[in-house]
Amino acid sequence: MDWLFFGEISLAGLAMGGLYALIALGFVMIYKATRVINFAIGEIMMFAAYLFLAFAGGMELSPWIAMPLAVLGGSILGGVIEKTMIRPMLGESPISVVMVTIGIASILVGVVEFFWTADPQLLPQFLPREPVFIGPLYLAPKIAYGFLIGAAVLVLYLLYFRFSRGGVALRATASDQAAAYSMGINVRRVFNLAWVFGSLAASLAGILVAATGGLSPQFGIIGLSVLVVVIVGGLDSILGALIAGLFIGWLETVAGAYLGGEYRMPATFVVLAVILVIRPYGLFGTHEIERV
Amino acid sequence: MLKSILSKGRRLAGLGSLVAALTVTAPVMAQDKDPIVFGGSIPLSGVFAFAGVHLHAGLTDYTSWINSQGGINGHPVKYVMEDTGYEVDRSVAAFKKISGSDAPAVYYGDSTGFMKAISAELNSMGTTLMSGASFATALTDNEQYPYQFIPGPNYSQMFGIILEYIASQGKEGDMPTVAFVYSDTEFGKDPIANGKTMAADLGIKVVEEIVTKPGSVDVSAEVLKLRRVRPDYVVFHGYVLSPINEFMVQMRQMGLDTQFMGTFWSSDKLIIDKMGKDADGYMGVMPYNYYDSDETGPMLDALRAQAEKSDPKAGYRPTGYMQGWFNAMVWTEVIKRTLDAGKELTAENMAASLASIENWDTGGIIGIPVTVRDMSFPVGRIWRVNAEQGRYEPVSDWIHLD
Repeated sequence: MDWLFFGEISLAGLAMGGLYALIALGFVMIYKATRVINFAIGEIMMFAAYLFLAFAGGMELSPWIAMPLAVLGGSILGGVIEKTMIRPMLGESPISVVMVTIGIASILVGVVEFFWTADPQLLPQFLPREPVFIGPLYLAPKIAYGFLIGAAVLVLYLLYFRFSRGGVALRATASDQAAAYSMGINVRRVFNLAWVFGSLAASLAGILVAATGGLSPQFGIIGLSVLVVVIVGGLDSILGALIAGLFIGWLETVAGAYLGGEYRMPATFVVLAVILVIRPYGLFGTHEIERV
Repeated sequence: MLKSILSKGRRLAGLGSLVAALTVTAPVMAQDKDPIVFGGSIPLSGVFAFAGVHLHAGLTDYTSWINSQGGINGHPVKYVMEDTGYEVDRSVAAFKKISGSDAPAVYYGDSTGFMKAISAELNSMGTTLMSGASFATALTDNEQYPYQFIPGPNYSQMFGIILEYIASQGKEGDMPTVAFVYSDTEFGKDPIANGKTMAADLGIKVVEEIVTKPGSVDVSAEVLKLRRVRPDYVVFHGYVLSPINEFMVQMRQMGLDTQFMGTFWSSDKLIIDKMGKDADGYMGVMPYNYYDSDETGPMLDALRAQAEKSDPKAGYRPTGYMQGWFNAMVWTEVIKRTLDAGKELTAENMAASLASIENWDTGGIIGIPVTVRDMSFPVGRIWRVNAEQGRYEPVSDWIHLD
């Protein structure tokens, strides 16, 4: 066994897993607060990455200005979607709401094809290009720096939810909407906040992933791949999203390296099936018991 | 730049509205004979739309051009198409609809999946000859697909041309090594088995095979595998852009002096436009001259003039455009030969006319006279990216496989 190779592969997988965790965070935040599975999360990622392309490539702004602008654009998009399309669906069947998010995904694909055509795109280079070595282990620079940025934002998120008023309101709403409402928390605003923050995480992840692998109107499919992460970790668990993101990223990469690229997805779905059998609510998800 | 993106988008949208009518008809000509119909299932939306819009432009422009030349033996040409979204079921539906309403003599299929799915019906109808976006090796099986052809070399033949070029760079006993990197799709896997056989026959060692998802994926682990085997050449297949760029950039960052090559859909100018300097040295096999190459010829000049006339702002026309034009050119040649022989335009007669093509001068679209073998045109040339010039330049002679 070539341990150096295994170490390098594992490092690459964990770094990619960090980005999966960031996308998963977008899923979880929205689900946790509003009980909506947002199937348009991948397309929100894609939209933000195209905004970055317009700002950094088209308008030739510095990437470090373009990135927050694009992330802001993606977050606003999330907020607008919630207010105009999801809120009117409150009280409707979950399937209807899911169908709305699928419809939104389709609309976003059409919008980017209209403005940027269906051509595949590459984002302007903005991450350092010098190879990164951790001891003897090589790590591709885009993945390494993408991971660092993603990890920094994850830490900020965790601090926000732990200590800020907004974060506490969101957690309170997630655990009991009626109680939160009776305590004077503006639950509708919290719903909107969850969409904004969820979209923010997804937007940042979208830019970092597109910087690594390129961009096209079909980019949003990555969002669906990350659904595996969320289900394994637990749909309503931020900790689950982080741990499952890292694990699935590592597993995918190791399976691809040792078994071949065609076994990346089957490996993750085997894990998904096993987890669903053992813990249907995910590794860290809430096991809801309904008493009648 | 944003303005340029927006205007490009609007141009595409303009094209979209044109297509909204779903039918593109040739200019009305002062011709009395019945029109000959070119049908098409065209992917103007969906994952293949980046090429579909250009294929469509090539077919449309050729139709206008041939009508301006008096049509085919006096018959005006009518091009009827529908957008398929690159979905087999929609392509099949489009085929049935167009076949029912317009009885096309020839038809453009948008994918290998569609062309395979429709083959039984096509064979039983016996009225239509088909080609399209696919260069699939399987479609050159004349027993199963007698009425379908490939408008260039099939993917295995493309690998054959690439491997012949690689072999020509080595010497006996010291052949370069090669790695195949392909997408985990039917398209990606198409030439791999034949490629390995051909490499073995030429004494080239295939030191690694990498399979990835198509499109936007992280390939750093795959690059680490390649670093260990240090291939002299990496041949990509089944991609358009990503992840080719990441393989090239990361392997060069590691100090490897590997050379990179790709097949038809991986050899568009898109690679240069998007990768910039990083694309320098990338090589592709291409059966047609590039739109902006130094080559000339009566048909190539006519193509450029028609392209300029139909959209003066478009500038460079991608390989999809050349492919669309060449498809229609072959259809015309086949129909002409069939009519000249006094035969009916049946699939069987047209397939026989196609098989009779030998040393055909394509007027500069392909640089040498071409001969049809097993319903394909097994010819191509290796082109290398000159990033400074922003274009591909030929680095081999035309290679015509037997």
